[in-house]
Amino acid sequence: MDLAPVIDGFGVVLEPTNLLYCLIGVVIGMLIGVLPGLGPAATIAILLPVTFGIEPVTAIIMLSGIFYGAQYGGTITSVLLRLPGEASSVVTVFDGHALARQGKAGTALGIAAIGSFVGGTVSIIVLSLVAPLVASFALDFGPPEYTALALLGILLVSTVSSGDRLKAVIAACVGLLLATVGRDGFTGAERFTFGNLQLADGLDFVPIAMGLFGLGEILYNLEERHRSVQAPAVVANVWPSRADLRQSSGAIGRGSVIGFLLGILPGGGATLASLAAYAVEKKRAKHPERFGQGAVEGVAAPETANNAAATSSFIPLLTLGIPANATMAVIFGALLIQGVSPGPQLVTQEPELFWGVVNSMYIGNILLLIMSIPLVGLFVRILRVRATVLAPITVLITLIGVYTVNNSVFDIMLVIVFGALGYLMKKLGFDPGPLVLAFVLGSLLEDSLRRSLLIFDGDPTQFFTRPISGVLLVVFLLVALLPPVRAALRRRRAATRTPDTTPKELV
Amino acid sequence: MTSAPQGSTGPGSHDGSPAGATAAGTAQPAAGGAPAPEMDLAEAIHQVEAEEQEVRPPAAGPLSNVLVAVAVIVLGVAALVGSSALGLGSARSPDSGTFPLLVSALLVLLGLGLVAAARRTEDAERFTGASWLVAAGLATMVGFVAVIGVIGFEIPAALLAFVWLRFLGHESWRSSVLISLGVVAAFYLVFVVALSVPIPHLF
Amino acid sequence: MTVLVGFVPTPEGEAAFTAGLAEARRRGEDLLVLNTPRGGAPVSADAAPPELVEQQTARAQADSVGLEVRQAPHSGDLADEVLRVAEEADASVIVIGIRRRSPVGKLLMGSSAQRILLDADRPVLAVKPQHDAG
Repeated sequence: MDLAPVIDGFGVVLEPTNLLYCLIGVVIGMLIGVLPGLGPAATIAILLPVTFGIEPVTAIIMLSGIFYGAQYGGTITSVLLRLPGEASSVVTVFDGHALARQGKAGTALGIAAIGSFVGGTVSIIVLSLVAPLVASFALDFGPPEYTALALLGILLVSTVSSGDRLKAVIAACVGLLLATVGRDGFTGAERFTFGNLQLADGLDFVPIAMGLFGLGEILYNLEERHRSVQAPAVVANVWPSRADLRQSSGAIGRGSVIGFLLGILPGGGATLASLAAYAVEKKRAKHPERFGQGAVEGVAAPETANNAAATSSFIPLLTLGIPANATMAVIFGALLIQGVSPGPQLVTQEPELFWGVVNSMYIGNILLLIMSIPLVGLFVRILRVRATVLAPITVLITLIGVYTVNNSVFDIMLVIVFGALGYLMKKLGFDPGPLVLAFVLGSLLEDSLRRSLLIFDGDPTQFFTRPISGVLLVVFLLVALLPPVRAALRRRRAATRTPDTTPKELV
Repeated sequence: MTSAPQGSTGPGSHDGSPAGATAAGTAQPAAGGAPAPEMDLAEAIHQVEAEEQEVRPPAAGPLSNVLVAVAVIVLGVAALVGSSALGLGSARSPDSGTFPLLVSALLVLLGLGLVAAARRTEDAERFTGASWLVAAGLATMVGFVAVIGVIGFEIPAALLAFVWLRFLGHESWRSSVLISLGVVAAFYLVFVVALSVPIPHLF
Repeated sequence: MTVLVGFVPTPEGEAAFTAGLAEARRRGEDLLVLNTPRGGAPVSADAAPPELVEQQTARAQADSVGLEVRQAPHSGDLADEVLRVAEEADASVIVIGIRRRSPVGKLLMGSSAQRILLDADRPVLAVKPQHDAG
């Protein structure tokens, strides 16, 4: 493997500006993870306008810092308050909070920090080895492969999205339709613009992302009744003991592997990884009853896994140009705005960007580890800030921020429209993530599909004649059709079973 | 009306303190403690998620679900019509409307699927009194964008912040005024003075 | 009829609890401790930690006084909430702890205590923390 670009990447990372933005990203990420309400996707969306004034490398370094920083921030509230700050920290609640109640909050937080660091670092190392291979493999991809890949990616993200699968796919379809608005690249015809000049060039990604994730989330939270309020927590002992570390080492190791593998899978991600790692640890433990009562492995495993997964979920984006989850979709958009098109050629054509971002993750993880414990006190104080005060500030940042992108009041209107849409979607059970993902992939999907049909002379079955697209499409069909078929069979079985059971009850 | 924060009655005090039991302590036996060892992982996660659900409005009824499904179908049909106007082409030579046609057809199908599942659907929420807060919030944003071109951003921003703080957030008059003014001042310093963003401003 | 104590984990609140407990004992009524932090944030310094609630429970039991602790958060004005709960629980007296404030302090930060004193439609017992060495 040619090490020169990797070394150059470190050179890029160690530039003062990039170090600064890495720090900013990680701190903001932790803050967001701590504060209930906004998540990393929403925050990255709201900060998109900031990325305009800075270099692509710097921007992505900051945005990625936000993402994996948030995984750790969510842990703090899970442990101290039994409140998962992020979906990927739900499992940490069980043993983490149990430890806190035993006065060992510091142990839990320390183990989580160390596990996150190890998981993240292992993931980066494997990423550095695997990513160039995947990218070179994908260089042979043609339109049929991209069609299948985009379809599969959209489907997988919809499948594992929070909430109803059917609704998620509907959201994705809406996203695909939104992507068609504007001028058709092939024929030049104007589609769905209703004569509006502003729409002629298509919908801009930034207002959509900021509206759906940012404003939508804030509006949705307005309906929340008050949660119970807790007294400030005191974090006493700060580091785990050597025995704790030794006990968790296996969990950390396994968590890293599980996290890395599940993170690459589109739709997998940090949440699934943390669940799987916890379940695995509990199953293979000699005394599974300890789990839920303060077993350190119960904290180490999910925390390691979620950071490993957060890191490896960059791989499909950076090597194939396919975002693996909603946050990656927003970062995809950020790259597009900067004029960088993610894809297999990124590794070879923009090595400074690629390796700069990848290597920044080492630094980011180190920063996370160093800062996590000292800053806990600060974060607990941050938790006292009321959402009612943060909300209007975030709204104004979004409204004014979107204006700075194109100096266009129309963009503000767009962001409000999509804010309303985002609220409605969340309220009615539609996950906005697949919509954004499908939107960013929409042009790619349609282009590839049309080119493929031209290549195949109109015969769609030829997709299956090519090995890669064939395999991907088969997987696509399986993932698409199996679960609803299974669910329907299960329902029929349950319906036919009940007449059998009643005679037994009568007896 | 009474509710205990999750940690308010520690694990030890559930038993045998009749005078001190907070009302909700009995309703959620595990709320103050870890999930019981026999509870498996899925149940434990459901419990955490259920606590999230408690602060949200209740689930919507089947009628609302059908209405949502119908809305999806209508959207699909509208897009279908739009796509056919664009030219459907064929598999051999796709036209502008081919892809939108496929997607909108799928949308209609999925909408029908939603109608079929309307009775079982539980993840939609009902519109409640609190939903008026959202409407008000949106109204402030619409107001903001309507006047920003004319009178600059300072006044609409201050008004928006004030409404959100005082009426949507029940902060005191004093705090609302002070925070609104402070926020607008901060925005002015950052966007107009420091970054020289060409946002319409009055001062 | 019950004795209502507006409680926060401060010396003033402690004084209010002690006075309220004694008052409940004297009147032969139950004690309702209202510890209602400002809602909207997960953490508030006004919320009483579980250990404190346990202590109060123990003290009430020792004095054979029936105790109820309410910790639901409120939005809006604290004074309004106290008065509302007093109405709902039909309190015979409201016990609050007060702190000396400079005229400027009262102007800048308002005073829930003042509002309660002025707007209550039932007796209010305002106590200050003891500063004795014993």
